[in-house]
Parts: sequence; C-alpha cells; structure tokens
Amino acid sequence: MRNKKEALVLLLAGGVGSRLNILVQSRAKPAVPFAGMYRIIDFSLSNVMNSGLTKVGVLTQYKPLSLMRHLGTGESWDFTGRSRGVKILPPHTGFKDSDWYKGTADAVRQNIDFLEKNPADEVVLLSGDHIYNMDFDAMLGFHRHKKADVTIGMMVVPMSEIHQFGAGIVDKENRIIDWEEKPENPKTNLASMGIYVFDYKYLLDSLYRDRKEFDFGMHILPRAINNDNVFGYPFYGYWRDVGTIQSYWEANMDVISRDSAISPEAWGIRTNIEAEGRAADYAPARYGYNTKIRCSMISAGCVIRGTVENSVLAPGVVVEEGAVVRDSILFTDCRVGKNAQVDLTICDKRVNIRNSAIVGAGENHKIPNILHPTHLYTGITLVGKEAVVPDGVSIGRNCIINSHSDDKSYLAKNIEDGETV
Amino acid sequence: MKPSTLAMILAGSRVDELDVLTYYRPKSAVPFGGFARVIDFPLSNLLHSGIEQIAILSQYRSYSLINHIGTGAAWDMIGRHRGISILPPFKDNEDGEVGADWYRGTADAVYKNMDFVKYHKPEEILIISGDHIYKMDYQEVISYHHKKDADLTIAFLKIARSEAERFGIATIDDEDGEQGGRVLKYWEKPENPQADWASLTVLIFKPEVLYEVLQKNQATDSYEFGKDIIPQLMAEGKKVYGYKYKGYWGYTRTVEEYWQSNMDLLGDNPQIDMEAWGLRTNMDHRGICDAQPALIRDGANVTNSLVYNGCVVEGTVQNSILFPGVQVAKGAVVGNSVLFFNNKVGENCIFNKVITDVNSTFGKSVCVGSAIGTVGGRVTVVGWNNHVTDSVAIEEGATIYPNLPPETWSEHNIVKAGEVLK
Repeated sequence: MRNKKEALVLLLAGGVGSRLNILVQSRAKPAVPFAGMYRIIDFSLSNVMNSGLTKVGVLTQYKPLSLMRHLGTGESWDFTGRSRGVKILPPHTGFKDSDWYKGTADAVRQNIDFLEKNPADEVVLLSGDHIYNMDFDAMLGFHRHKKADVTIGMMVVPMSEIHQFGAGIVDKENRIIDWEEKPENPKTNLASMGIYVFDYKYLLDSLYRDRKEFDFGMHILPRAINNDNVFGYPFYGYWRDVGTIQSYWEANMDVISRDSAISPEAWGIRTNIEAEGRAADYAPARYGYNTKIRCSMISAGCVIRGTVENSVLAPGVVVEEGAVVRDSILFTDCRVGKNAQVDLTICDKRVNIRNSAIVGAGENHKIPNILHPTHLYTGITLVGKEAVVPDGVSIGRNCIINSHSDDKSYLAKNIEDGETV
Repeated sequence: MKPSTLAMILAGSRVDELDVLTYYRPKSAVPFGGFARVIDFPLSNLLHSGIEQIAILSQYRSYSLINHIGTGAAWDMIGRHRGISILPPFKDNEDGEVGADWYRGTADAVYKNMDFVKYHKPEEILIISGDHIYKMDYQEVISYHHKKDADLTIAFLKIARSEAERFGIATIDDEDGEQGGRVLKYWEKPENPQADWASLTVLIFKPEVLYEVLQKNQATDSYEFGKDIIPQLMAEGKKVYGYKYKGYWGYTRTVEEYWQSNMDLLGDNPQIDMEAWGLRTNMDHRGICDAQPALIRDGANVTNSLVYNGCVVEGTVQNSILFPGVQVAKGAVVGNSVLFFNNKVGENCIFNKVITDVNSTFGKSVCVGSAIGTVGGRVTVVGWNNHVTDSVAIEEGATIYPNLPPETWSEHNIVKAGEVLK
C-alpha cells in the first residue's frame, strides 16, 4: 500500500450555517439531518470513503457535540483499521488569547501539527456542508496529471448565483488564469465548489508563509493563481450547497423527485445509525388501512395512518388518521395528530403537532419572517426541536416556532404569517 | 458481575416443512418481520431479560446464522462478561461410528458441549428454541424456577386440544394458580392428547440435574429434550414445574404457519408488535443499515403493510410485508404476501398470498398465487434467485425451487396449482 501515492483529507465542518436558523440551534450545519436518515456531512464522508481515501481529519468548532457523536469511531465510513482513521480536530488554545478559527486557512493552519504528523502526497480539503456525489480519486488523478500545485473542483452554476461563490476563469488546459471571490459583476459562471487538492508541501509552505492569510478563497488561492500552477477540475454531477432554508428544502425535494436527482443509496452514502441511539432498531414503516401516500420518502419506524404527499419523513414519524402532510420535511420521531395539517414546513426532531392543529395555513407565501426576513421568505415554516403545536392552533407561512415551545408559549390560536413563537 | 444464567439456543435444524425457505439456511435464520430473522425474537428476549451469556448450537448451513449473529453487538452481547458463542459440531472420535460427531439431537448437541457449559459455571441453564416468535421475560421463569427449587422448569402455553398432537403436552397442577404448578404428566407429541398445556421449548435446568440426565441419555439412541430428557426426568420423579405463559406465540413450522405468523404483524393492533417488544436485529447483515428510506412514488397505494427502508413502491401493496430492497413497479398489485430482500416485481404483476425468498425478479404481468381478492388458498412459495419472465402464471400453492435456470420459464409458462417446480 505504501508505494502508492496517498492523500490526506481535511474536512472543514466548523461552519455555523446561521441561515439555517433554528435547525443549527443545537448542532453544526454538517450535522443537520437530511433525506430522512442521513446528515449533511454523510455525503462528504461517504465520497471520501468511496474514493478510497482512508485518513481524515475533521475540523470542528461550532456546536460540535452532535457532530462528534455522529462521527463516532468512523466505523460507518470504514475509517477504522491499522492505516485508516478519522480524527476530530477541535479548536485549541495556542499562544495567543483569541485562537478561534478566523477563516478556513487559519483553521487548517492551527492544525498544522496534524498535517505534519501525517505526511502525504496531497491534501484534499473539503467542506462538510454540501450534498453531492464525487470521486476524489479522479480529481487526484487530474491533479497529478497536470502536476498542479492546487486543483479546485469547479462547476457551472447559473449566472444569477455566481455571486455566492468563488469564480474562476480557465484557459483551454483548465489552468485557472483569473479568480474573483464572490463577484458582483461576474465574468464567468464557473464556480468553486470549495473542494481543493493541494500538493502537500505546497500547502504547508503557503500556510507558513503569512499568518495573516486567514482564508483560502480570499487570500491563498488568488496568490497561488498569480504565481503557481492552479487548475480547475470540472465537475458535472449533482452538487448543492444547502446553506439556506430554501436550498435545504429544495435539496430534500430532489431526493423524492421523479428522476431522483439525489439518490443516497445509489451513491453509496453511509450514515452512522447508532449515533441516533436507537435508530438502528426501528421496525419497518407501518401503513394503516386508509393511507394516501404520494411521492414521498418514508423511513423505517414511521407509522402512517393519514395522507403524506411530497414529503420526507425521518425514522419514527407518526402521521395519525385524517392528518395531511404535504411538501414538508419531518425529522426523527415527529408526531402529527389526528386531522392535523402540515404544509410546506420543516419540523426538527420530536415535534408534536397535536390533533387538528394546522402548520402552514393560508396561501400567502409572500410575507417574510419578521425577525429573520432573509432566512424565511418563500413560505416555508420552521418548527424547532421538541416544540408542541397545541390542539386547534393554526400557524401561517414563514413562521418560526422555537424549540421546546409548549402550550404556554402560544399567546393566540392563530399565528400569523411571518410571526415567531 | 459474572452472569449466573447460561442460555443455549437450539438453532441447528433445517425444517423440512418450510421447504425451499430452508434449503440454504437454518430455520432460525429465516427472514421475518420485514427486516429481521426468526432468531432475533429469542435473542431480543434474552437481551431484555438481562441474560448475558449465550451459546447457539448450530449445525445446518451455519453461514447465514454466523453472518447474522456477527459480534453479538446488535443484542448488546459484547463486553467483559457478555458474549455470544456459536457452537458448531466438531470432530472428536478418530475411529468411532459414522456420524457420531454430528449433533444427533438437541440433547446430544448440549452434551457434546458440556465442557463449554461447565466452564461458565452457571447457576441455571436456560435452553430455548431459536425458531419461535414470542416475547417473554425469562427472568420471570427463572425466578419461578428458584422459588420452587425445581430441577427443571418448563414454560407452557394453553392451546386448543385439536392442535395438541404436535407438541409436548403436559398436565400441570394449580400449586401456584395462574403462575404455574407441578408438571404431573408429560407426553411428547401424543396421538390422543389428554391435556392442553403445550411446551414452548423454554427449559430451565438445575445444572447438575442436566449434566446427569444428559450423561445417562448417551446410553440410549435418541437424544431430544422433548422426546427423551423431559420424560426421563418425569420418570425419575424429579421436581419438574410448569410456568404458565399467556402471551402471543407464533409458530413457523410449516409454510402456512409461517405465513400466518407474518400476517399477525399487520392490522391496527398487531399481535406481534416489534416496536413495543423492542425487537433488535443485526443491521450490518445484508447491509440493511445502508438502505435509504423507502420511496413511495406517484401512483402507489400502500395499505395495512410493513415496508422497510430500501424499497421503491410504484404499485399497490396491501396486507403485505416488504423487506429491504423490494421494488414494486407500476400497475403491480401485491396482496397478502411476504417479499424477502431485493425482490423486483415488474409492471402489472399480480401477487396474492405469496412468499418469495431473496433476490428474485419477476418480469411484466407475472401472476403468482391465489386468485385476487381471496385469502383462502394455499401459500405459493418462490425460492431464491429466480428470474421469472413476462406473463408467466404460477398458480396457488405451487412451489418454485431456488436458482432455476432462466430457460425454465420458456418451458413452464404456467405452473399448475400445487405443482413443485424443480
């Protein structure tokens, strides 16, 4: 094994992901559940596993407990063994007072001892925030073939979205000749996916060179493009940053779409079922006599007695008789009571929607959430972990029901569009 | 703390009546409940009863079972004092009689592993069958056993006398009322049953009593707990007590019984409630932990059924159980059926009262089983790894052997009712 070239993987999983609002109240963005039984980070970790890479460091910072529990020993992704492993790299105090990560490059720099202890030919830098299916081995092959110092995974995105990304202009050889970070007037539609392959020595040299260069996209890459060999590796498959409520919801809908744009099982995505305590043991989903189910994903342990349309249900969700769940995403062990309605809603774990309650009432999707107008403005309502929606309460569009809300939290029977409980 | 109870599961046998379902696996490893195996029921009972040392006696095609047990972690059986050991037969006598090294019966299997049993120095030995579907707290039986200071305590269930000839049958007195009593008489599979307490093959022995009776039994030529050991202890006037069990008991001895036990998983208040019972299985076996949640597509209609992760349903599924990886295509109707792992049912197929073993595919418009709308007919069984071509009809009660060559179906467009296709 040793005579083969080897790459070390660093997975940046520290992001706050604040635009995901209450979904990241108690967990880091990579640990947000996705497609019923997965977490967002499972996609990156499984891609690493399926690419045959075996040494991984996971950089955490923000609310890492849920993430650390989920990673466990790394066994779920085959990262246990003599020469395989996954290490959690939390922030640690160094010589100065403020040692929280100041940016992506700073985060890697603070873990430079991990890099030095694990010599490799290349370092693959990934973010744990994306839903995609990618073969890093092919990308490493490209990197080696080009004798590149840095290779950046890039894909074509709509011009209207390029302002959210690092944008690169490439020549015929795919060499990146110009770079714009989050351009307002873009010259290209080729976006960086936040996936980098660095020559090992080149990365160390770059990190040592100037400690004030905190960020790859802002500092290190522009300089590399000007002075060294930086190539864009074109990617044509499915890739999505699920950093907003809207994109998170859309990506979940891509799982149940007719053409299965996202197909976790076919992609070989693995998860750690044990981190959920007892998720492993859910019995098969049980369907009652009067169910109507259309175009939905139903996990083991669900009990469906009502109607479910265009929805993604995590393990252990109960939908009682007469209840209707539509265009929604329900996390583990949510309960929807008799004759309740849930429309265009994301419910965190163990939400209890009591009999005849309505979540997502009315047809006006246009009033944004008053407290977080940039988070919720397309009609999606969010219900936080273990919140209760009492009998007969009606909640409008773009609402936020904070986690652990109970009967006393509701000041009125009707929660208007855009309100927060 | 070192466990005081040693449990031994009799899981070795193939059961002829289950036919094609046990050609490649022992009965205890037969799939059940949409994701699990039959043996998961006793194993989960042991877990919930806090019994921590388990041995599994296995000799028929052990591979599936060994694979399923894995490390035992699924039932929390790894730890300093916890463990599952699989005990296969082994070569012992150099020039002894032919076949003497095989387990010649359940009692012989335990006898041959006597060194293992004694090594654990158990205070009581619990012997159970790996073939039944039930929920029992063995600690209740064990504490009754101790309360009576019994030599042997057996769990019994009251059954209809008309069925009694298939079981070990006893009369039990009312020494402890509803809880149990002294076993007065015992008959193994009596032709004219005189009582209606049936043995559930849950036996708790005082170790020295077991050692002695197994030793004596070696001098005979039949080595079964039900047929030989219990009658021997009764004849010796040992203290044999009966514990009266009142819960659900699912048999899986014949295809019809196995099908019925599966149907007991369905309904609004199922008799077998796997969630409530806390059923545990090995999620690594067949990689079922990697199956994504089921996709219920447009046009699907799923009622009164169990559907596990990994399924894709576009057709109609009624009163049925789908194991991981089953696909039901558009226009297909699956009723009253049990489809094991990875069966693919093609467009416009009609299945009624069918059990299909793993990995079979069915082309378009294949009809299998009883006429639609009936549940009275015999169960139709399809063995594993068959590839049934378009428009084949397999009639009610037919049996299809595993691994039939693909050209079979050009010669057998119709398999008659009750026919056995080899």
